[in-house]
Amino acid sequence: MAAAQKTPPLNARLGWFIVWLCLGLAFVFYATPILWLLLAAFRDEPTLFSSGPFSLGRFEMLAQTWHNLTTYNDFQIGRWALNSAIYTIGGVSLSLVAVLPAGFILATYDFALRKTILVLTLVAMITPNTVVALPIFLQMQAFGLNNSYLGMIIATAFFPFGVYLAYIYYATSLPNGLIDAARIDGASRFEVFSKVALPLSKPLIALVAFFSFLANWSNYFLAFVLLTKDELYSLPIGLAVLVSSSGALGNDVASDIPINKPEAIVAAILVIAPVLLLFLASQKYVRAGTLSGAEKG
Amino acid sequence: MTQISAPNSDPKKRRRQDRWFIIAMMAPYLALLGFFGIAPVVYAIGLSFMDTIDWVFWGFTNYEFVLNDFRLIEAIQNVFTYVAIWLTMMVVGIAGLSLMLDALPDRTASVLRTSFFLPGAITSSAIVILWLFLLDPAVSPYGALFEALGWENRRQVVSHFGYPVVFALMAYLAYSGGWIVVIGGALKGISKEVVEAAHVDGANQFQIATRVKLPMVWRSLALMAILSFANGIQMFVEPQLMSLAGSTYSRPDWSVNQLAFQYAFNLGDFGASAAMSTMLLGVAIFISLCVVFGTRFYKMD
Repeated sequence: MAAAQKTPPLNARLGWFIVWLCLGLAFVFYATPILWLLLAAFRDEPTLFSSGPFSLGRFEMLAQTWHNLTTYNDFQIGRWALNSAIYTIGGVSLSLVAVLPAGFILATYDFALRKTILVLTLVAMITPNTVVALPIFLQMQAFGLNNSYLGMIIATAFFPFGVYLAYIYYATSLPNGLIDAARIDGASRFEVFSKVALPLSKPLIALVAFFSFLANWSNYFLAFVLLTKDELYSLPIGLAVLVSSSGALGNDVASDIPINKPEAIVAAILVIAPVLLLFLASQKYVRAGTLSGAEKG
Repeated sequence: MTQISAPNSDPKKRRRQDRWFIIAMMAPYLALLGFFGIAPVVYAIGLSFMDTIDWVFWGFTNYEFVLNDFRLIEAIQNVFTYVAIWLTMMVVGIAGLSLMLDALPDRTASVLRTSFFLPGAITSSAIVILWLFLLDPAVSPYGALFEALGWENRRQVVSHFGYPVVFALMAYLAYSGGWIVVIGGALKGISKEVVEAAHVDGANQFQIATRVKLPMVWRSLALMAILSFANGIQMFVEPQLMSLAGSTYSRPDWSVNQLAFQYAFNLGDFGASAAMSTMLLGVAIFISLCVVFGTRFYKMD
């Protein structure tokens, strides 16, 4: 720190003023959209325009909006929400089944293709969706898996970022002595994984499940390519179709569909609500677990 | 790396058992990697050299064809402008806010960090819909600001910002909070002794942040930049869904990904689509590997 000592110290008060100013502006930037969205759900179309952006609406207005949304096409949005839940639960579960053992093996065994698999995993992480979307569409078509729950679930179960996280976690967080001791005590190879590594993997499982959930629930592109039947749409696709077909956000032509701006707002909240709840519940895991290994290189 | 070995057993037998165990444990991931990672890329590269109507090999014809499409250059410019703006915002914003939060008392930092983190829940189509409201002075919470600038309607707001800035704002709001939490976690992992030593040596908070803490989380920031870059060049949802606000906002060929999609699914020209995708893959891998090896963030062993 010899060089640092020569640098004249910043005026501490001015420094803290700048810090709080930046953090205050950032708070406004980050909090405004969500706050506005949640408050806007309680307003109807005329009050969205006539009253201030953060004015409070009434519960009856939300009830009317919800009624319009749920009665449209026989609660079609409920069907899309159910589809999204099926795709996400299936995708997350299957990705965990694939990711945890793979990460464990890559971190604890040395074998011929280990480096190749790690490099391919990294390349898969950065491969643009567009490169694989068309071939996956054609492959799935060949196997009759387009427009099916199973097809979407196995396509989204491929989660190389999860393998990277698991590899880093097991390589840096598993005490070496513990594994050796288990083997000396007579534990089989699989028991070392299932009875030693897995019970120590709760933060990892939470982390992989969190990122996998986020990727699956918000998946748009792959679902857009693989799903063409509207009864199989996921919620993000359904939301776009709903708003597009009703023209709710445009000023072009008014449609006779009872989906307007308040319905678009409530439908958008429906899309983000599960992720919002998950975010609130999981922040400490993301904070504690993520990438601590990356620092150790 | 831990090397698992059972004591007192025949080495040959042990190696054979190890091999079968590795195969069994890796099988689910390798099947998915093969089917959704390797095969599609090989397939796309193969398709890019084929006439996919008569299914004959025709060399670089698909590449010549798409490179002569005037929309491609424009799409590349659009995407790179957007990525440059977004990545700058991400690196500066995330590093700056994470370091500032790290200097605050825990409880205050935690409240602020949560407020930065939550907008990450708004993704895919929901984020475009939200921003179409935010950019409309008639309903937006920023309406007064837009009106003060003389921007009276959404079209004026969008044209003053420009599409790259609008998309960069959308993506920054969605993705930066999660990384602020991640980098915050990494900053917390820095040994207190190191920070104390710098303090004793006379370093002020700013110097500790920029000369001690920042270099120690640099690899996480590099990883963030790589993943964001790979994510950014494949943008599709945001420009595609701008049409939700009406036909004047529709930009079906704004990004390279949209063009590739159009070739495949609207024109049925899989070869041209694959050629465009393959070029995009080349760029993604080249730049990502440059960053990977430049920062040496990904040491295998």
